[in-house]
Amino acid sequence: MRRQLRSRRAPAFPYGYRYRLDDQDEVNQNYLADEEEEAEEEARVMVVPELDEEEEEEKEEEEKEEKEEEEGQGQPTGNAWWQKLQILNEYLWDPERRMSLARTGLILVIYFFFYASLAAVITLCMYTLFLTISPYMPTFTERVKPPGVMIRPFAHSLNFNFNVSEPDTWQHYVISLNGFLQGYNDSLQEEMNVDCPPGQYFIQDGNEDEDKKACQFKRSFLKNCSGLEDPTFGYSTGQPCILLKMNRIVGFRPELGDPVKVSCKVQRGDENDIRSINYYPESASFDLRYYPYYGKLTHVNYTSPLVAMHFTDVVKNQAVPVQCQLKGKGIINDVINDRFVGRVIFTLNIET
Amino acid sequence: MRQKTLEIYSVELDGTKDIEKTDEGDGKEKYRGLKNKCLDLNKHHQKEEFKKELDLDDHKLSNKELERKYGTDIITGLSSSRAAELLARDGPNALSPPKRTSEIIKFLKQMVGGFSILLWIGAFLCYVAYGILYSSNTSASLDNVYLGSVLILVVILTGVFAYYQEAKSTNIMASFSKMIPQQALVIRDSEKKIIPAEQLVVGDIVEVKGGDQIPADIRVLFSQGCRVDNSCLTGESEPQSRCSEFTHENPLETKNICFYSTTCLEGSASPAGTATGMVISTGDRTIIGHIASLASGVGNEKTPIAVEIEHFVHIVAGVAVSIGILFFIIAVSMKYHVLDAIIFLISIIVANVPEGLLATVTVTLSLTAKRMAKKNCLVKNLEAVETLGSTSIICSDKTGTLTQNRMTVAHLWFDNQIFVADTSEDHSNQVFDQSSRTWASLSKIITLCNRAEFKPGQESVPIMKKVVVGDASETALLKFSEVILGDVMEIRKRNRKVAEIPFNSTNKFQLSIHETEDPSDKRFLAVMKGAPERILEKCSTIMINGQEQPLDKGTARAFHTAYMELGGLGERVLGFCHLYLPTDKFPETYSFDTDAMNFPTSNFCFVGLLSMIDPPRSTVPDAVTKCRSAGIKVIMVTGDHPITAKAIAKSVGIISANSETVEDIANRLNIAVEQVNKRDAKAAVVTGQELKDMSPEQLDELLAGYPEIVFARTSPQQKLIIVEGCQRQEAVVAVTGDGVNDSPALKKADIGIAMGIAGSDAAKNAADMVLLDDNFASIVTGVEEGRLIFDNLKKTIAYTLTKNIAELCPFLIYIIVGLPLPIGTITLLFIDLGTDIIPSVALAYEKAESDIMNRKPRHKKRDRLVNMPLAVYSYLHIGLMQALGAFLVYFTVYAQQGFLPRTLINLRVEWEKDYVNDLEDSYGQEWTRYQRRHLEWTGYTAFFIGILVQQIADLVIRKTRRNSIFQQGLFRNKVIWVGIASQIVIGLLLSYGLGSVTALSFAMLRAQYWFVAVPHAVLIWVYDEVRKLFIRLYPGSWWDKNMYY
Repeated sequence: MRRQLRSRRAPAFPYGYRYRLDDQDEVNQNYLADEEEEAEEEARVMVVPELDEEEEEEKEEEEKEEKEEEEGQGQPTGNAWWQKLQILNEYLWDPERRMSLARTGLILVIYFFFYASLAAVITLCMYTLFLTISPYMPTFTERVKPPGVMIRPFAHSLNFNFNVSEPDTWQHYVISLNGFLQGYNDSLQEEMNVDCPPGQYFIQDGNEDEDKKACQFKRSFLKNCSGLEDPTFGYSTGQPCILLKMNRIVGFRPELGDPVKVSCKVQRGDENDIRSINYYPESASFDLRYYPYYGKLTHVNYTSPLVAMHFTDVVKNQAVPVQCQLKGKGIINDVINDRFVGRVIFTLNIET
Repeated sequence: MRQKTLEIYSVELDGTKDIEKTDEGDGKEKYRGLKNKCLDLNKHHQKEEFKKELDLDDHKLSNKELERKYGTDIITGLSSSRAAELLARDGPNALSPPKRTSEIIKFLKQMVGGFSILLWIGAFLCYVAYGILYSSNTSASLDNVYLGSVLILVVILTGVFAYYQEAKSTNIMASFSKMIPQQALVIRDSEKKIIPAEQLVVGDIVEVKGGDQIPADIRVLFSQGCRVDNSCLTGESEPQSRCSEFTHENPLETKNICFYSTTCLEGSASPAGTATGMVISTGDRTIIGHIASLASGVGNEKTPIAVEIEHFVHIVAGVAVSIGILFFIIAVSMKYHVLDAIIFLISIIVANVPEGLLATVTVTLSLTAKRMAKKNCLVKNLEAVETLGSTSIICSDKTGTLTQNRMTVAHLWFDNQIFVADTSEDHSNQVFDQSSRTWASLSKIITLCNRAEFKPGQESVPIMKKVVVGDASETALLKFSEVILGDVMEIRKRNRKVAEIPFNSTNKFQLSIHETEDPSDKRFLAVMKGAPERILEKCSTIMINGQEQPLDKGTARAFHTAYMELGGLGERVLGFCHLYLPTDKFPETYSFDTDAMNFPTSNFCFVGLLSMIDPPRSTVPDAVTKCRSAGIKVIMVTGDHPITAKAIAKSVGIISANSETVEDIANRLNIAVEQVNKRDAKAAVVTGQELKDMSPEQLDELLAGYPEIVFARTSPQQKLIIVEGCQRQEAVVAVTGDGVNDSPALKKADIGIAMGIAGSDAAKNAADMVLLDDNFASIVTGVEEGRLIFDNLKKTIAYTLTKNIAELCPFLIYIIVGLPLPIGTITLLFIDLGTDIIPSVALAYEKAESDIMNRKPRHKKRDRLVNMPLAVYSYLHIGLMQALGAFLVYFTVYAQQGFLPRTLINLRVEWEKDYVNDLEDSYGQEWTRYQRRHLEWTGYTAFFIGILVQQIADLVIRKTRRNSIFQQGLFRNKVIWVGIASQIVIGLLLSYGLGSVTALSFAMLRAQYWFVAVPHAVLIWVYDEVRKLFIRLYPGSWWDKNMYY
């Protein structure tokens, strides 16, 4: 059977000789148990390296010779060495595809350099970009203007639901507010910041990389909502304090003599649901001395001014939607898509 | 087994036997795969009919037997009731239209083909995502709904577009029905009736007269001078006479059967030929019906470009899906919400799929189709535009394609000399010696012994274009003499005809007797023409240089040599002789009686020989040479005689001047054919008979072994076999043809090319392309256009694929690094379907980089449209550079607005929280959610503009694959500039005009951001120039192999 197979292949032998050897000899070797044929086969295998060498470049030939020396030692052990060598050889230099490990390596090296230079280019570009950008002042502020508004306490939700008689329902507001106001502690403010004159901008000329001083905003400014007198911020009496904070914007200045004011009212429904609100500071405004903001790099201790709303008389046991708006020149508070620009809407639902 | 295979070929044209045999075969006959397929289609409902057809022996039966067989009466015909019965049993006498795939299914196929399925999945996932979001939060963002709807819109739009394009192509069977004669004269109930041919049934007795189409396959019962033109069936233009006698075993060859849809010729004789016959088969059971079913049974192979596009779709879809899934897994393992991971998956798929590309390819192909139509190549199937470009073998029919399909006088022999006549399309310069007096006599015979006449009212028409009443050879003679002598009709008038014996197949001569034009010469002139050997028999003298000489052995030998030589050229030879009747025996008043033959028909004077051939078109040799240099093998496949076929092949260069067939070598060396070493012969002429005895392996060997092959005397089935054989050589095969008999091969071929003027409707319908001017040379144009479009499609695809990486990277970075999303999915669609469409179409207008007609046709398995270098270079080189450039624009915008790159890292989660309305940026500024979103849209727009700007550079570099842009010329392709302008205009419109439409997520962008990516664009261009430079400098190098796509 096997003989037939061989004889059929024989005529084609001269044509595709080398080619055939490359892909068939190893497979065949495994098949051949017959000693005679094995000898023949071996003879053929022996031809392969010679032919290959003719094809190969000088360097690889040298490499090869080294291998052959190794092989010389291994020869007595028999065919297994030969096979291993063949496999190794093909791995290093596959004559059919004329590819070798070295070439694969070359490709990797080329790609490495290509990507390295791309990385260099992008680094250069980014470097140039940073050269044009001041670390102290953003180049443009049109997207962050007009200022947005946020309130504290804030925990994922703008619905204030609590039961006066159940401290568990409002305790987290108190903790949150206390935590938030830690930075406003009078002692801290007095230590870090300066007391600057009210009613005018606190303009600090000089190089932009100079550290800027910040104006004090003491916790005590918030009076009844400071948590100093009433550590529960009025939550225990059903008169909750809510702090309102305007988003910082570098270089933002309210109109001179016309500080930004806060006013809250019922958003929808009966106006009388909220009968009175106390604002602290009483002006219900952000004093001009807290402006402009010079950016966090130089204006390290800048303390955002706050306005506290003390809802002293709100209808109980029903949800009251409240809208607090900023008012002033350069303030927009009616953007349809953005419910936090110049205003904030939240609901109070105080149960007794 | 072998025996059986051989038998398959033993029946020509009659497809039934082949099919029947194969059916019995054990399925090992792989070679017959086609037939098997064809059979499978029709097996169930047609098998019975095939069996019946198998013993078509009606031509052998006598009239009585026929009457018995079909239960009819030759005199009275069928009774109406019986006819109605039969009609109900067999159905109408019409070819059944093929099963059409319903339009809805075609439409739906378009909807799910290509990338559509991916997009459907994407859209579906969008809705699922929204559904899940909505169930947990009723105020969920509508983004996913927008995206899903947009995706569906995209799929539907591209589907409708593709459907519209496909709907333009027509159906093969449409014209078979057109060929049906409208009316038939039939004898029923002893009465002659005119009924619609559709109502004919087997056994009907019909009468056919000259000019009619044969209404069904009929067995002739009675005939008077009836001749039919079978050319649409066999390709032979020779009219064939039909009589009631059984003349041949083969039903196709016998004279007593006329075939459906062939034409009964209108003779010049009065009365015109008529025939009465009995209908023996109708509708699909006719021979033409079989060929039609053969043609429609041949599966529509995928065009090479369709295969390429599919391959490309697979690559891209594979990349899209695997990256999508990979990042889905990464996202999930990075603790992203599964819902988010699904949205990433959608975005990655959308980013990876070039939505607009398939539409672009269609537009590109149809642009080329239009351009080709201008050059007289009408392309029916859009994809066939490219097929011609990859064609490696053209199997050309002879008659009508390579030749003019009109008999023309080619050679004359008189005065012991052969003269060559001009056979070009207009016969303009006849240069042979016309001074000899023998010529004067010969020309007189040619003029007088001819019954063909010009149809009246064609005075202004050039002679060669005039319509003639008469058969092909008489027409040739008439036109020949009209060109040389002038007004033939006038000459005939001057030499009044007094008697005539028309040509018939038993005498094989035609004789007429005329008065002479010389009033003083009262003799009658008898002129005769016919088969040369017959004519010679009737002659005792021969005219040499105007002198009558006795016909001795020497002159007879000269005659035979000339006859053999002309015959050897594949030409039809006619002999001419004349005799002046002596006045004493035939006075002026003598009344000639053609029935009594009261005049001599022997001892004539032999004047000369004249040979005719259907000459090649003058443009063909040049076109064949061009095909050769373009690496295309031209094979002639004809139904004609081998000698004629070989002669024509030689004259058009299909067999080149210095190559010989085995037979030629044997002749030259004077040895037996078997002794010749087959390797010496470059050319081969193979007849259908020989082909019949060949095994598929032998055919393969033949096709591979000889560069120049002519197949003669082939049947439609054999044409199919040849085409299949060529296709087994991995060749892309083009078949040209004009007859009904060619239609199966036309259908089977990778591209079938039909002749627009001479072609039958069936051929035109089976073909993918129609040559409007019947000019073989138009094929060369087609090849050129096809190759160009392949190259240009590569460019288009490379252009389109490049930006995929730039579109994909944002999502990958978004997932891994957590930047705010650099570009939205809908924005991507605006690139794919907006800015990129016109530029990619513009690349179709690019001129060839080098002489594309000097290279070999592409190998359909090796030279892929989208190959490794193309994908790697587009994705990993240019694509990556583009992505970097676009990111630069994105970072610039964010940095200038306050978010420096290091702040952006891992900002994603906070950034996207709706309740965080005081997110701090690098400067300590606080942002509301909406402000961030607005900034994000600005980022989308910036990224979009970044890609756009670099796509302009990409467009410019894709103009060439090897040459420098400057070699190609920046301004030669104006459409490219239209494309660039369109990109910019659409970009401006989107970023400034539509900035306020929420769903589109565009925002106003400062003008300077348009220029941020410009250095990158320049870099891309420089890099590509360097690549091309190295390719040109080091052809064959590693660089060339890996960087040339």
